Amino acid sequence: MRNVAIIGCGQTKHSARRRDVNLAEMVGDAVWNALEDAQVTPQEVDAFTVGNMQGFGGVAQPEQWLGDWIGAAGKPVLRVATGGSTGGCVAQAAFYAVASGLYDIAVATAWEKHSDSKEPGATTGLSHVALGNTINMINCGLSFKHLLSMTLVGAAAGVACYQAMYYMYRSGSRVEHLDMVAAKDRRNAAKNKYAHLQWPGCTPEDIAKTEWVAYPFRYGHICPASDGASAMVLACEDIARKRCKKPVWIKGLAAYSDEENQIMSEGAGGIGILDASQQIGATMSAIKAYRMAGIRDPQKEIDVAEIYQPFPNQELIFAERLGLFDEGTAWRALEKGETDINGRMPCDPSGGVNATNAIGSSALQRILECALQIMGKAEEHQVPKEVHNAVATGWGGATNYIAVTVLGDSPY
Amino acid sequence: MSSQSEIVLTKVPVPLVAGFQWSVGELMEKFIKALADRKIWGVKCPECGYVYVPPRWRCGKCYAKLGEENLTELSGKGILLSYATAYVELDGAGSFKDLSEPKPIGAIKLEGADSTLFMPLGEVKPEELKEGMKVEVVWREEPKGELADIKYFKPAKR
Repeated sequence: MRNVAIIGCGQTKHSARRRDVNLAEMVGDAVWNALEDAQVTPQEVDAFTVGNMQGFGGVAQPEQWLGDWIGAAGKPVLRVATGGSTGGCVAQAAFYAVASGLYDIAVATAWEKHSDSKEPGATTGLSHVALGNTINMINCGLSFKHLLSMTLVGAAAGVACYQAMYYMYRSGSRVEHLDMVAAKDRRNAAKNKYAHLQWPGCTPEDIAKTEWVAYPFRYGHICPASDGASAMVLACEDIARKRCKKPVWIKGLAAYSDEENQIMSEGAGGIGILDASQQIGATMSAIKAYRMAGIRDPQKEIDVAEIYQPFPNQELIFAERLGLFDEGTAWRALEKGETDINGRMPCDPSGGVNATNAIGSSALQRILECALQIMGKAEEHQVPKEVHNAVATGWGGATNYIAVTVLGDSPY
Repeated sequence: MSSQSEIVLTKVPVPLVAGFQWSVGELMEKFIKALADRKIWGVKCPECGYVYVPPRWRCGKCYAKLGEENLTELSGKGILLSYATAYVELDGAGSFKDLSEPKPIGAIKLEGADSTLFMPLGEVKPEELKEGMKVEVVWREEPKGELADIKYFKPAKR
């Protein structure tokens, strides 16, 4: 297997509605920004991996539309769709393309154009996804209403409610800690020019003043629905060393599914457990990815983490699953400011998914943001310390599929 | 053994409606609005010279960036490259029904454009259609700035 590095990154500005561009133009913007950053021409790219949340935006085969907008006309294009973790898997697919020796330069791009749905937020997209994914339960004779409340427990947002409740009970943390995570992420996002929800100086008290949506979540806790795209250029070692001053090496990766599958859970005649705060897939992915990367003690060896956290409890849960803090203690580290941008273990210095959620793109952005931190190109949200190793996650599938990617400034 | 009559069938309605409102982007919005003035905008690539209608902001041939400054007005006259004729249409109930009269459709290259438009053809009998014949646009009586403003193309006067 060959070493693979990220040699260029590109993204678009994220906002609630990008009416100025259609889907292809928006994805094109991110790709051209990445190619420019890498100083690579489209003619030099061997292959493309692309993806968004399946069914969202109402374009069934977006890769068929994108070809000549992203420089992929006449080139191999592979579409990957694993729900919320899509972007992470798109990046990992590009890694495989180069690591295998099949291609020397690959572009990974992921996006979401939420505003192309008529209903606000993700309603239309989720309906689309739900229709396809719930057929197996309709098979059991459950009505759609029952599916939503009993089995899907309200899709990702409903799952996250239970997830937060389970975690708070288990760890002894409180809603106040969700306020703290959200406030930190909005403050960080204010330093990231591409981010959607920017709130300079946001305090936990500000978040606590927002209205309840579904306990334990307030409006201020929850991610927005964003339009936006991101892209990265990946290259083999020879090219990376010649073409890039500071290539970022993909040192380890894994994407595991686990039994916390809401769609085939115990509530629907399956075996999936319903404590979504466990996220065993994250633990399994982290162990595999760290072993591949040669990381023995993530608490010492990881310098920054970009965690997929549309809901603030997820930053705490996944930070523990990634071994960045001991079990049930991430909230204590949060209290001490250790996860702040200038803390011991900065989590989501970009503001993360909590501040910007163009779903398909979100997990690719986590990897991209880690790359920017290692390259030293994160500008205002650059963490004020040397970054040698970073870890990125994506959460998706049927709330049970996690992609973990470990990045570093050296391939070894 | 259970008999045929014991098989349980449950009908489950799925109350889903998925509506969309796609953004078309700035150049395409301009193209659509200009139809109200009976104008057809194309865009000419400054690098390779390829002319697209409707316009787009990235050349699909050489990947040069295109913008408003590259918009170019097309005459509405063109050449019929190829054609097909429909004799049936969908009946909305999963089957076909016969059309009261055949509907010809054509692949048209507008004067000055390199890309091809597919449009309905009118004021012409299917047997009169011929590759290479000259055609011209017929506008709706009161164009409103929407795609339907282009009613069809008809054979051009000599």
